[in-house]
Amino acid sequence: MGERTEQVITLSLPSSMQHVDLLKVIVSEILKETNFTEDIHEQINLAVIEAGTNATKHGNKEDPGKKTAFQLILAEEKLTIVTEDEGEEFTPKETETEQVVTLSLPSSMQHVYLLDVVVSEILKETDFTEDMQEQINLAVIEAGTNAIKHGNKEDPNKTATIELILAEDKLAIAIRDEGEGFTRREVADPLDPENLLKSSGRGLFLIEAYMDSVTYEANGTIIKMIKYKKTPEP
Amino acid sequence: MQVNLRHKGSITILDIEGNIIGPDSLALKAIIDQQIQVVANEAEHEEKLNLILNMERVQMMDSSGLGVLVSSHTTIRRDGGNVVLLNLGGNVRSLIVMAKLMTIFDCYNTEAEAIAGIIQT
Repeated sequence: MGERTEQVITLSLPSSMQHVDLLKVIVSEILKETNFTEDIHEQINLAVIEAGTNATKHGNKEDPGKKTAFQLILAEEKLTIVTEDEGEEFTPKETETEQVVTLSLPSSMQHVYLLDVVVSEILKETDFTEDMQEQINLAVIEAGTNAIKHGNKEDPNKTATIELILAEDKLAIAIRDEGEGFTRREVADPLDPENLLKSSGRGLFLIEAYMDSVTYEANGTIIKMIKYKKTPEP
Repeated sequence: MQVNLRHKGSITILDIEGNIIGPDSLALKAIIDQQIQVVANEAEHEEKLNLILNMERVQMMDSSGLGVLVSSHTTIRRDGGNVVLLNLGGNVRSLIVMAKLMTIFDCYNTEAEAIAGIIQT
C-alpha cells in the first residue's frame, strides 16, 4: 500500500439546484474525517454551497445537460476545493431526460460511508420505493466494497469511480476499479451447502439479487447494474 | 454503528444501533471477539458466552456484517456457548433469509424470549 498524504475526491453533478444539498451532505461527511474545528466546518460548508450555487445557477444557468464538477483535495494541513462549471453557452433543457452523477474516491474503506450518503441522498429525490432504495444502496455498498477492498486492495493511490445515471424509468450504476479484475464464474456460490457458513463471499450474490440486471465488463473491473422502477416482466 | 454492552445475569447483550456497513463489520467483530476472550479468560468458572445481539436499531447490514454474524456463531457454538438474534428488522431478516441462514440463527422478538431461549439451547 503506497503512502499518500493527499486524498482527492471528485464529484460531478448535473446542474440542478437540488444537488446543492447533495454537495453539502458530501462535504460534511468528508469534513467529519478531518480535524478542522466545527466552526471551520461550517465556514467551509457555506463557502462550498456558495460556489456550488454560483456554478449551477449563474455558470450553467441550471441547464441539467451541463455538469458542475467538484474536486476536494484533503491534505495534512489544508483542504482545497475546486469547482468548475460549463458556463457561457446555453442549451435548452427540454431534451434532457437523464441525470448523471459521478463520484471518484481514493480506495479507503472509510469512504464506503460517503458512498452510502451520496446514494441515499440521490435516491431520496426519486420515486423508487423505500425497499428498492435500500436494495440499491446495499448493492452499491457491496460493489463499492469490492472495488476498494478486492479490486484496488485498499491502495489509496488507486481510485474507485461510481457513475449513477438516473433516467425516467430506471437507475443505472457503473462502478470501476483499478485492480486486476476477476472472472465471475470462478466465484463460489455462497448458497452451496459447503459455503453456507463461510464468513465472506456473499457480495456478488446479493448485488445480483437486489438489482434487475448486473453485468461485468473489462475483465471484471467494471460492474454495471440497473434497477427499474417497475420490475420488468420475467 | 454504535454498540452498547450490558449484562443480564450471565448473559451478555449487545445493543447495536445504526447501519452495519463497510468498516463497521470489523469493529463489530472486534467487540464480539473481546467478549469471547473475556469468557475464555475466566475458563476456571466453566462459564460459556451466552450472547444476545439486539438488532432492533439496525436498519441496514451488508454482506461483511452478515459474515461477522456467521463467524461469531461458529466460534461461540464451538466453545460451547450460544448466540441469538433479537428484534430483526425487515431488511436484515430478508438478507439472512436470502443467504439461507435463517435455520442457523435462533431469532427472537422480545428480550425475555431471547433470554429463555439462549439458556435452553
